[in-house]
Amino acid sequence: MRRYRTAVLGASMLALLISACSAGGSSTSPSASEAARPAVTVGSEGFDESQLLAEIYAQALEAHGYTVARQDFASRKLALPAFDNGDINLLPEYIGSLLRELGSMPGGNALGPATGDTDETMTNLAAALEPKDQSVLDAAPAQDGDGFVVRQETADQLSLVTMSDLAEVADQLTWGLPLECSDNPSCGPGLKEVYGIDIATLRVENLTACSGEMATALNEGDDQSGIGVAELCTTQADIERFNFVLLQDDKKLIPAQNVAPVVRNDLLDAAPDDFETILNGVSAKLTTDELTKLNVQVSVNQESIEDVAAQWLADQGLVT
Amino acid sequence: MDFPGEVVSWFAAPEQWSGGNSIPVHLLGHLALSGFALLGGLLIALPIGIAIGHTGRGAFLAIAMANVGRAIPSIAILGIVFPISLRLHLGFGFVPTLIALIALAIPPIVTNTYAALREVDRDLVEAGRGMGMSEVQLLARVELPVGVGLLLAGIRTAAVQVVATASLGAVISADCLGYFVLKGIATQDRAQIFAGALMIAGLSLLTERLFGALQRRVVSPGLRVTRAAGPSDASA
Repeated sequence: MRRYRTAVLGASMLALLISACSAGGSSTSPSASEAARPAVTVGSEGFDESQLLAEIYAQALEAHGYTVARQDFASRKLALPAFDNGDINLLPEYIGSLLRELGSMPGGNALGPATGDTDETMTNLAAALEPKDQSVLDAAPAQDGDGFVVRQETADQLSLVTMSDLAEVADQLTWGLPLECSDNPSCGPGLKEVYGIDIATLRVENLTACSGEMATALNEGDDQSGIGVAELCTTQADIERFNFVLLQDDKKLIPAQNVAPVVRNDLLDAAPDDFETILNGVSAKLTTDELTKLNVQVSVNQESIEDVAAQWLADQGLVT
Repeated sequence: MDFPGEVVSWFAAPEQWSGGNSIPVHLLGHLALSGFALLGGLLIALPIGIAIGHTGRGAFLAIAMANVGRAIPSIAILGIVFPISLRLHLGFGFVPTLIALIALAIPPIVTNTYAALREVDRDLVEAGRGMGMSEVQLLARVELPVGVGLLLAGIRTAAVQVVATASLGAVISADCLGYFVLKGIATQDRAQIFAGALMIAGLSLLTERLFGALQRRVVSPGLRVTRAAGPSDASA
């Protein structure tokens, strides 16, 4: 009887000890993927699509345990200094215009050009970012570049299909251009060099590029009022919605414009390997068609950016 | 070059003085916006202020409605009117900005006009009635001359607010001094931002001085307002 009691006592104490050990084990030894995930602050550049991309990358990271803050800036010119000084450490960008922007800064003459070829532009961009301790991750197939857009009637009246066609009648129309156009290599200087369109000689109304007001001003315009040509973005929902005609960039003013996240090296180094994998996984699924569809959901269906991002990530199987 | 030097050379640059985006063009646009907005505000607000100030009735409702013009952000009014203005072929940035500015000019004029008439000594009004004056005569010969100081203070407040806020029109491509501020921000040209802000501030100050001088000339010496009249006087 006594021996039996001792055995039961011993067995139950042993069981207790074993369960205590294993329970303590799983809470005191973190697995490698839970180790110190650095804080991420993702930036965006004011317009809806930029905020949408930031939200998509942010939510993908959050689904894998990262803490992500968002910070929006009114334009690239304001976001880049913040990226340089570490206020933000992740920034979804467009490889062509980013490279051109870096090239237009002091000392940028030595940088390779942004061309119509994605790989070449990526190489040149990576080289441009390296001295700043920044990197560009994989490019998404999706491209969104500046585009010059006219109403269907205007295109019919003036037989406009390409930018070269537009150059011939440039002074007959009022142009909607952003204030930074005169400084932007993909806008003012580029239009002059590639197509011979000198914006200083044209009738120009200054509105934010790729914005709702720009699209409205074009849509509500006619021969006497509003604008005749607008600078919109090629994945903008309004082009479809208002049946605009996007003029073909026949002389390749606009370079390869793939979406790609740029990241500070200090974040890249501090983060575990899954950081790059997660972001590259998102980029791989982002095509131009997908991006345009998402824009329509935000602009036309008036759905919130957070909801659209969450739904898309779930549909693509990126948050399981 | 040091910053003040940059600003000075910005002003001195010839491109600032010729062409479609020169200082004269935007200054003129700014003055046109401000002038017409103040005029529009006066046409709407003065009759209302006089009516409620003279009769003393309907003041609460009128002033509450007037203050809507202050409560709704001007930029929201801009955004709402913009597509309508385009559709009606009313031009690009001028009309929506004008409407937003008129909305801003109305509250101080209504409130100060009301206060001005209410503060006229009741004895004077009674004396006038006793002399057989009609309501219109009372207004013209007693109430307005006595209350003109505070009334002009309201117009002055409205004028300064309108001149300062007209720069908002640059957001929708209206010709105004705000262009330089926005262009400076877009191109990260600090000297230009500062120059634009300087011009707007300078114009606002000038407006304040001008209306102040007008007040001193128009108000009868016997009625010199002893304390500073301003928005705080309108207790509504």
